[in-house]
Amino acid sequence: MKGTIKDLLNITGVQGYIIAAGKNIQIKVPSRPNLSAIKDRLMDLYRELIETDKRPGNTIEIYMDDAIITIFLSGTVMLLVVSQSTTNMALLRMTGKLVAANIMKER
Amino acid sequence: MNQEISGDLENTRCPEIIKILSLGKRTGRLALNYGEDGGNIYFQDGQIIHAKCGSVEGPKAIYEMAVWSAGTYRFHVDDVPEVKTVDLSIDEIQAETENRIRQMDRISSLIPSANVVFALDPDIKEKEISLKSIQWRILSRVDGSRSISDIAQGIGLTDSDAMKVFYTLLKMGVIKEVERSHARKGKATLKLPDTPFIGELRNSLINAIGPIAPFIISETAKEMGFDLLADDMDQRAALIESIHSKIPDETMAMDFLNAMTNWLRAEG
Repeated sequence: MKGTIKDLLNITGVQGYIIAAGKNIQIKVPSRPNLSAIKDRLMDLYRELIETDKRPGNTIEIYMDDAIITIFLSGTVMLLVVSQSTTNMALLRMTGKLVAANIMKER
Repeated sequence: MNQEISGDLENTRCPEIIKILSLGKRTGRLALNYGEDGGNIYFQDGQIIHAKCGSVEGPKAIYEMAVWSAGTYRFHVDDVPEVKTVDLSIDEIQAETENRIRQMDRISSLIPSANVVFALDPDIKEKEISLKSIQWRILSRVDGSRSISDIAQGIGLTDSDAMKVFYTLLKMGVIKEVERSHARKGKATLKLPDTPFIGELRNSLINAIGPIAPFIISETAKEMGFDLLADDMDQRAALIESIHSKIPDETMAMDFLNAMTNWLRAEG
């Protein structure tokens, strides 16, 4: 495994992802959870979390009714993953950490 | 005044010899021997211009030899080097060597030589310990079998610098001296359950941090109340994440996480 987005998407139940780094944001989520419409809010979230002293941790999990949002922070990179509640979260957490670290390394 | 001088380091230690040669404004090579170790300090008109001890050169080589309290020395007149690695005054060198000798005398009260072997002390008293990277590099190599000198060589430190770190670790209570009769008989080991998961975890962690790995696995599992024989993937992942956060080198930490993620994916 190389720790790429492809590895993340191969995990059963992962629906999409958002990568925010610097002033850029890349949104790849299915249309139902219409996150692309809230780009500005996501950038606010990114700015809030990327400051290390405000950061509650390097991995944040938000449990919703029918989905789980997991946020991985590595340096100046924020990776947000949307997955179903049936997803193997242990595997998602470990893979997400690797992917976020790799994106940060490549920048 | 160009005769050669020689003698015993037990009676005249290196700083005194340096002082004599400096005051006499001598030019030549001071050769020092201590057991299997040896080195040279080169003088030009009483100033030190070059020093070499094993693979160490420059002021560090002088400080390394300055703490030798046994062995022999001989001054070879007019033997000058082609390189210059020392650019400090005699006063600066003297001040530092005296400082090192004082330090080494204190260290020698607990650690008599670089041949001493240490093992990890499982009865650690402190609740929390913070280590500098060099202390961690040494601690990860302490296995109840290798001597200070062996470990110093492995990470490119001089014996005296390594002894200083061992002294601090000993004071922290994280290592203890292996009884001479037990040294080199076998490695300090901790028996972990023999399962494929634990085997993979141990091997990946040994790659990342060395022989201390089984102790870290055992301690982390204890802290988390994790049963090492449990077959729960979420718990295993939590254990991996917790251990991963304890690996000081970021690259090694990611390699460890990568190896264990691969393993969990294959098994899951």
